[in-house]
Amino acid sequence: MAPGRSWRSAGRTDTGKVRARNEDAFLAQPEKRFWAVADGMGGHQNGALASRLIVEHLAELPHRDDVDQRVKDVRRCLHLLNRRLTQELTVTAEQPDPVIGSTVVVLLIEGDHAVCLWAGDSRCYLWRGGTLFQLSRDHSFYEELIQEGRIAPAQAAQHPSARALTRAVGANETLTLDLVEFTVYPGDTLLLCSDGLYQEMSTDTIGRGLSQPSVRLALQQLFELALNGPARDNLSAVVIRQ
Amino acid sequence: MDTPLMDEDADLTHMVGGAPSALADNQSVSPVAALPEVLCKRYKVERLLGVGGMGAVYRARDLLREQYGDPEPYVALKALNEEFAQYPDASALLYSEFALTSRLRNSNVIRLYAFDIDPPSQRAFMTMELLKGPTLDQLLAERPDGLPWVECQSIAIPLLEALECSHNLGVLHGDLKPSNVMLAANGLRLFDYGLGQPTKGLLTSLPRLSRSRIAAWTPRYAALELLNGEALAAPADIYAVACVLYELSSGHHPFSRLTARQAKAMEQDKSLRCPANLPPHCWPALQRALAFDPEQRDIDASGLLDAYRAPEPSLFGRMFGRKRG
Repeated sequence: MAPGRSWRSAGRTDTGKVRARNEDAFLAQPEKRFWAVADGMGGHQNGALASRLIVEHLAELPHRDDVDQRVKDVRRCLHLLNRRLTQELTVTAEQPDPVIGSTVVVLLIEGDHAVCLWAGDSRCYLWRGGTLFQLSRDHSFYEELIQEGRIAPAQAAQHPSARALTRAVGANETLTLDLVEFTVYPGDTLLLCSDGLYQEMSTDTIGRGLSQPSVRLALQQLFELALNGPARDNLSAVVIRQ
Repeated sequence: MDTPLMDEDADLTHMVGGAPSALADNQSVSPVAALPEVLCKRYKVERLLGVGGMGAVYRARDLLREQYGDPEPYVALKALNEEFAQYPDASALLYSEFALTSRLRNSNVIRLYAFDIDPPSQRAFMTMELLKGPTLDQLLAERPDGLPWVECQSIAIPLLEALECSHNLGVLHGDLKPSNVMLAANGLRLFDYGLGQPTKGLLTSLPRLSRSRIAAWTPRYAALELLNGEALAAPADIYAVACVLYELSSGHHPFSRLTARQAKAMEQDKSLRCPANLPPHCWPALQRALAFDPEQRDIDASGLLDAYRAPEPSLFGRMFGRKRG
């Protein structure tokens, strides 16, 4: 890969057709090779505040050339916000245990070294050589049931709590982030998205969207397809390419 | 107001073991407009700095100050969350915080600028100095073993001075915790008097936050009497600040992050020891401040301040002084 070749990205968030409020937020800083999607949860305005808090705090992180240092910065930032939203949150007697949290998926790249960190079910996909790879694994009850091998995927999907999350920023006193490191090659296209975008879409459809000639066209196609469907949830995506 | 339809619950993001929360009471509330991007044609909301249980604080650009060439035209802007803003007396609640904090002229208490209402949205907000620096929760997250004495003392003294000043002027904080204390470049600041109350008999004309309607606290820093529904009084602030002081020295909460009620039930106070970084001469004062029973918490901010300001006893004094624990 030619060093210093710039990255392009296009991001968008939409309330969808059913929800009154958009609780998603995204970050696109191609100049810092830094992107994120967060999907908030909680009553009232709480979900929207949580996802915004995460994205705006990530946006302020200083740019550094050292990937390990950047990963540390991201971790420190997300752990601090988790502490704020759990141990330090003022609660009311009416709602002693309020939900104010958010999923997060972060991608950072330096040279050809890419790192993805996440908590929750917002995803990172890689489109390479005509194949779609899901790089993140959802932290959901469904995924846990499958991984434990106790139940078949079709059965797991029927479980009433299938889509409930097992991890998120603001969910537990201790936040555990998952991380995957990989090498990026010319022609790779990456996608960060909330569940509102992928849940009604097949991997083939996502792949076709990502094979569009530009990041803008790819994003446009993915949103058109999602918004032509039921679009019950908020949807957000960032498409990234060199 | 966002009232989710029942049939969309399945699509709400929620955690295992927790159902999507529903509105607790929508009888006496009216819809509230979302916080506009520009308030009073003057403050451009730019970034969310923090979220509390009832309000949110943003960084905003003061367009007027910018017009006059102010190189730092930024302010912190606090507005109530939509959930609270919809109550008819919500503005009065925020005004009460403004009025209480404005009374405090102390370099270690946040400086407020103005209280205002944006006419189109009818949203109340207040502006204050924009602080830069880590909050104590941020500091504690980086220093899990606690701070050495000199550093701890340099934080404890201005913090206790701010609290002493507040109490002397008849203002109770009501929600003291690490994230409400910032180490700004030009000194420590205590902020967020959102659950504050005037002392009995003072400021009687001021709208008061009714604890019977909105009882609020931060579980690990709330004194037992607050959890039991009693009115806020100075000893509750003392318990909270003592938890923070203990945490600064040891790196961890005095009662393993339990609430006062849980810790009392487990008799955690009996196993409480003086943190290794804290000089033993401060321990009797801090231990009294951490008492679960407000009657036994017979020390005020000035008493704690005296202990933290006192020079360490000489070796002779230490040899014959009180033992730890």
